[in-house]
Amino acid sequence: MRPFIVMLGVGLALFAAGGAQAYHRFWANCNDDAPTFLTTMTRDAAQDYANAARYEGYQWGGGCWNYDDGDSYPNDPPEETGTHGEGGDCSGLTFKTWRESTDTWRDGRYYWRALRNVHGPYSAASFRAGNGAPNHTVAKSTAGVMDAFASNTHIGMVFMRSLYGGDQIVEAKCEACGTNIFYRTYRGDSSYGGVARWGWTG
Amino acid sequence: MRRPGIRSLVGGAAGLVAGVIGGVTLTSVSAAGPTPLSRAPALIDAAHVPRVLTLPGEPIRLRYAIVCTPRDDGLPCDGSGTVYIRAGRSGPYSPLPLLRGDDAKDGRYFVDVPAPLANSAEGFSYYAVLRDDSSGASITVPAGGADAPQVSVPLRDARSVTLGGHVFGAVRHSDARVAEAGWGSGPRELGLAGSRGLGFSGPSSFDVESDGAVDVLDSVNGRVSRWADGRREVVPLGRPAELADFAVDSDGSFDVLDAGGTIRSYDSHGKPKWAQKLADRTWAKLGHGRSGPVVLQQPSEQWMPAAENGAPLSRAEQMHAAHAAKQLANGHEVFVERVGDSELRVAEVRGRAPPRGWRITSETPLGEVQLAESHGSRIVVITRAYTDDRDEFEVLVLGGGGLVARFAVASDSWTETAPLARFRLVRNALYRLRTTPTGAFVDRFDLEVPQ
Repeated sequence: MRPFIVMLGVGLALFAAGGAQAYHRFWANCNDDAPTFLTTMTRDAAQDYANAARYEGYQWGGGCWNYDDGDSYPNDPPEETGTHGEGGDCSGLTFKTWRESTDTWRDGRYYWRALRNVHGPYSAASFRAGNGAPNHTVAKSTAGVMDAFASNTHIGMVFMRSLYGGDQIVEAKCEACGTNIFYRTYRGDSSYGGVARWGWTG
Repeated sequence: MRRPGIRSLVGGAAGLVAGVIGGVTLTSVSAAGPTPLSRAPALIDAAHVPRVLTLPGEPIRLRYAIVCTPRDDGLPCDGSGTVYIRAGRSGPYSPLPLLRGDDAKDGRYFVDVPAPLANSAEGFSYYAVLRDDSSGASITVPAGGADAPQVSVPLRDARSVTLGGHVFGAVRHSDARVAEAGWGSGPRELGLAGSRGLGFSGPSSFDVESDGAVDVLDSVNGRVSRWADGRREVVPLGRPAELADFAVDSDGSFDVLDAGGTIRSYDSHGKPKWAQKLADRTWAKLGHGRSGPVVLQQPSEQWMPAAENGAPLSRAEQMHAAHAAKQLANGHEVFVERVGDSELRVAEVRGRAPPRGWRITSETPLGEVQLAESHGSRIVVITRAYTDDRDEFEVLVLGGGGLVARFAVASDSWTETAPLARFRLVRNALYRLRTTPTGAFVDRFDLEVPQ
């Protein structure tokens, strides 16, 4: 019995020291449910969806969150999908908010629930290029509510224009700052281009 | 040493396996335990671009976005609302119900301001109460409601400033470089974070004291770097402050506004004095007010004082002391409104005198207004001219006769900063924060002394 107990302790210690504890874990609560195909997609429903993801954290390569107004696993090391924390990244949040398909040739409207763990096939750079059937580039000066500005490293959606000429942007920004609505000057910044979703119904 | 028996080896191996499995199981339980089901609480938010500066006879439509808990059927919320409006800035408000439009590109809910109010000689003031009819949740915009409404000022006899098409590439070079540092964590360096995949952030804001001392918020290293009298000083703040805004008070103390909307005050040695959450969810700029720091906040789209005479203001106090105009230290007020794609309206109010206004139009789209402040008898405005692949800052000096001077300065920066923190106007000079792959610097552009 003694060897069993000793090695049980060693096993637990090895597990803890191996770093498995450091890499959670939130994704265990997520699901792979099919999206709901919808015929409508309004800009203000998209505002509702993205706004509800505020405070839910940021996860590189992620796309799964709950609605408890907190990041269950904040401050993970950046640029590591394997940390499996809560939240989308910038392109994952945009993909789900824009109700896109994981098939880039489909331009229909697919409603993904918050806990559905899906990032989608697009990086910020591919959004910027207007890649995929549902996406296209637009002149930045014409971008309105829930259109987006994308650079080679980031994408954020226009929550609303703002008085001083910048925009309130809803975005999954970074591990330290999470997902929120921030005031940004992407519209005038030439490292960003204008991007939009085809098929808004209002 | 006694050789282990087969039972000991089997027992030990079983213990090791059980230990690892136990660890995995415990982790799964701990991960799953605190996570609630996906159930959105009732929430409500809003957005509105106020009409701050209006032209005589101009039709005025107020538009609002009402943002609610996402619905399972994917449709927008059942919203409604009422705008309470009055002529001038005093007296009772009249209710105007919001209408629900078909298009949400600029806000689905709207009301047209009746002509007698829109054309009132004193302008009008208003606030809105917005509701989610399915949950009963409501929100008031601006947050101070009847006590601190949004204000609209008529721009009569505004000077017309026609910029034409912006000519890119003809930028003015600075008159002096007043601060410079390479990237790193050493005492004479400024911190750089990020990667090619994430983008980079560095010093996110800066300020210039009246004696010309330059203070740069070294956000990544969590400290302030100070250039004064040919010396460098570093004041540690004890925490990183990525994408934070920053202001230095007249007594040398610092205010740091972090990305999450908490403003922290430090004494000149970096000792924390107080911290206070902002009233609204979003902020655009931290500035100097008449008696302390002020913050331009959204969705109210108002300047709210964050502290008064060194003491922080509660969120309710911020809301009820809000102003549509920026209250300058010299007693003047400056109103700014970017209209459409390429128009900018600016007005200065001095006491009870009629406002001085400028209507600036451009053939090149105009982006954000980085700065709009008094400079003697003039107003200095910095906005950004942009196309889809180029941009430069445009510095405009406005006077009683219209445009007094203009020049362009380069806008590119290697790292991201706080949104409206690229410039400071102090005495007769303009200062600009800029970064490159090798480091960060602050340049000075001397302005003509106004007569």
